[in-house]
Amino acid sequence: MRVVIVGNGVAGIEAALAIRAREPDADVTIVSEESDHFFSRTALMWVVSGQLSHRCIEPHERDLYARLRFTRVRRRATGIDLARRELRLADAEPLPYDRLLIACGSKPRPAPWPGAELDGVGHFVTLQDLEWLEEELHGGPSRGGRPPNADAHLASTTPDSPYRRRPSGWKARGGPPKHPVVVGGGLIGIEAVEVMVAKGLRPRFFVREEHFWPIALDPREGAWIADALAAHGVQMHLGENVHALHGDGAVARLAGDRGEVPCDLCVVAIGVVPNTAWLEESGLELDPRSRGLVVDEHQRTSDPHVFAAGDCAAVRWFDGSRRPEPLWYTGKFQGRVAARALLGDPARYERHVWFNSAKLMDVEYTTAGLVNLGVEDEREWFFEERGAVRSTLRIVLSGERVVGFNALGRRWDHSVWIRWIEERRSLQHVLAHLDESRFDTELVPPLKIPKDLRKKPAEPRAPSARTVAAPIY
Amino acid sequence: MDQQGQNGLLATFREPWRTRGAVAYGVAAVLIGFYTLMYFRDHLGVEGGALDPETWASAVGLRSRWLFYGALYSVAMVGGAIYYLRRHGNSRYNRIRIAVNVAVQVVLAFTLPLVMPYFFTGDPNQFWKYEYYFSYFWPLDWYKLHPGSLQNVPVVLAIYSIVGALVAAPLLAYFFGKRWYCSWVCGCGGLANTFGDPWRHLTSSSTSSWRFEKRAIHTVMFVAILSTFLLFLDHLVGGRYATFHHVVDGGQWWSMKSLYGYVVGAILAGVIGTGLYPLLGPRVWCRNFCPMAALLGLFQKLGRFRIAVKPGMCISCGNCTTYCEMGIDVRSYAQNDESFTRAACVGCGMCAHVCPRGVLKLENAPRLNADKKRVGLPIVDL
Repeated sequence: MRVVIVGNGVAGIEAALAIRAREPDADVTIVSEESDHFFSRTALMWVVSGQLSHRCIEPHERDLYARLRFTRVRRRATGIDLARRELRLADAEPLPYDRLLIACGSKPRPAPWPGAELDGVGHFVTLQDLEWLEEELHGGPSRGGRPPNADAHLASTTPDSPYRRRPSGWKARGGPPKHPVVVGGGLIGIEAVEVMVAKGLRPRFFVREEHFWPIALDPREGAWIADALAAHGVQMHLGENVHALHGDGAVARLAGDRGEVPCDLCVVAIGVVPNTAWLEESGLELDPRSRGLVVDEHQRTSDPHVFAAGDCAAVRWFDGSRRPEPLWYTGKFQGRVAARALLGDPARYERHVWFNSAKLMDVEYTTAGLVNLGVEDEREWFFEERGAVRSTLRIVLSGERVVGFNALGRRWDHSVWIRWIEERRSLQHVLAHLDESRFDTELVPPLKIPKDLRKKPAEPRAPSARTVAAPIY
Repeated sequence: MDQQGQNGLLATFREPWRTRGAVAYGVAAVLIGFYTLMYFRDHLGVEGGALDPETWASAVGLRSRWLFYGALYSVAMVGGAIYYLRRHGNSRYNRIRIAVNVAVQVVLAFTLPLVMPYFFTGDPNQFWKYEYYFSYFWPLDWYKLHPGSLQNVPVVLAIYSIVGALVAAPLLAYFFGKRWYCSWVCGCGGLANTFGDPWRHLTSSSTSSWRFEKRAIHTVMFVAILSTFLLFLDHLVGGRYATFHHVVDGGQWWSMKSLYGYVVGAILAGVIGTGLYPLLGPRVWCRNFCPMAALLGLFQKLGRFRIAVKPGMCISCGNCTTYCEMGIDVRSYAQNDESFTRAACVGCGMCAHVCPRGVLKLENAPRLNADKKRVGLPIVDL
């Protein structure tokens, strides 16, 4: 069987590994415009700061492709001929396939304001963005250097490709930026801020919303993170929109709601969109809102020989909506399911209890379940700890049933929380057994909740505009 | 305030002295030269000169070059501990561990051997009997279980040597992992974690380096055990077999006892083990050659210590693998949701500390109970 995989990211590689585990003789070809070697996209920030090298963020040894007989093609995929079962490539012969897996991920959402094409303006999503930001902040890559064939993509790239390297403002400035700006209050935004802080810079951080990361944090939690950023010298611009970037060749000023500020480097981190523009004419069904590839529970697209996994696939969520899940672990799971499904197994992808974690500056963050979504008869139990450890714990209930957890400052085992959500546990049960989900490193004093607070009932929340019914898992 | 985890501000790979730049080679050359003089002064014709470590020792008023070495060692560990705490001190585990390790070095491995003889004998020729290092055990301190050594030291210390090496060390390794020794007590580990910490990311995590490690360390362990056995045999029957005695403990450079000292003690532990810190990472000796690490590793493998992995949460960033000083590819387990115990792991805790997602946790737990608590996520329904 000839399997062609478009994309050398986590979904594509997980799929290739799963295919090889099941079919020792399958002919597997991986097409990538971006990179020779699979790398961890979530680790880009540490390469910029110098905590990791380019090589460190490659999760497998470099002989992986040879050892498992994966053929690599460093070309841009330009379209699909569904009738002839061929993948079209830029500057190369089309690749015939028996099964095609599209795992081409997402690309940065382009800045909707004028001036986005100036030098010194870019995103922080691709390997080429990483090289651009390293050049902007340090004048070049860290020791250990760039991966071999880093520029092989240039043979087939186009000006609008997310894998095109942005021009740097380093030369125009004659050094690192003095007035760096990051736009977009999400995870990529705070990572860009963090690498600037690591470099000793004092960036301005433009966040459209009134508090940091409202999709995941509530105002109290967001305020803590904003304070932590401010303590590192970050100038927070909360609740402020950006209107334009100005400059002569290279960016020099940024116009926001509250006037103009100097800006000689601007990282635009306002989200990602499925990288599916090349499929518009292919005949595959795209979700009208997100432009992700519509897939069924087997990750199969509207063509029975074509599958999709990862950020480019619009999957069905528990609330019935259809959109991509731009997450690392879901990309991994979808890739594995797609691999089994395209080989003919009855594998199904089932969206389970949501979980995630992150590190926001030096604050740990763990979440599981339905948080900040608005559930029926929503109640909330909140505890803030200020002692040897600073932490917050927020438990969300729908009626008497615990449906979500949000925690800052400590480490927790989300898999235990998920079990409680599945078991439809009460707040009292969860608080009585909370120690079972501890995951702090050793010798960290455990979270002590005073007895009266342990008995404190969850407080009702004002009903939100849109509520979802808590699913039975 | 305690914050778990690093703060993302390490600039390791942008500093040439920490990434095999010219300065790193210079430091390695100095260290190699120093250890060569320490161990081979008798053969290098430096006796009495400016390059003689004994000259340095008497210049600072210490009675032997080994006590001078202990003093230097303690200074290097204290200085390295300050550097370490500035980088990783926001973790309570790191703070307490390094404090204990430095205290053991300064008290048990320097001060006590320095002063103890004065309490027990007035004869400087008898000092060596009471210059006892409580923090080293057989087979790392290979001489401690020799028939000669056991007979010559006071009975209490002989018992301490035997019980420590054969009962206490393996038992503690079974219950707490070999970290109780390698990361909390041992001077070699202590130097690696303090003075050697700037270079911890240089340890190779490749499969081939793991293959080499397994062969090398178990060979040294085998040799250490076999040679100790032969020394006891020689002690019992050596008088009757002159050639056997000659080969085992005859005093020539090529007799087994001297050869073990030169090859394992001097070259592998000293010249290479410490000399190559700035080029190959600080655990070259511990990882590839230390017989004690090999032995305790086997008990660790059977025992309760493990690194627990939270399912589904790993983002494969590579911080754990990069900062593992023992070259364990921690990420390969974490990204497959596998809790694991590796014989090599010295339990320094750095993988858990640098993990940006809080995926890893060192624990001493009866495995079944721990796994009952931690259910897998049935996301993929087949």
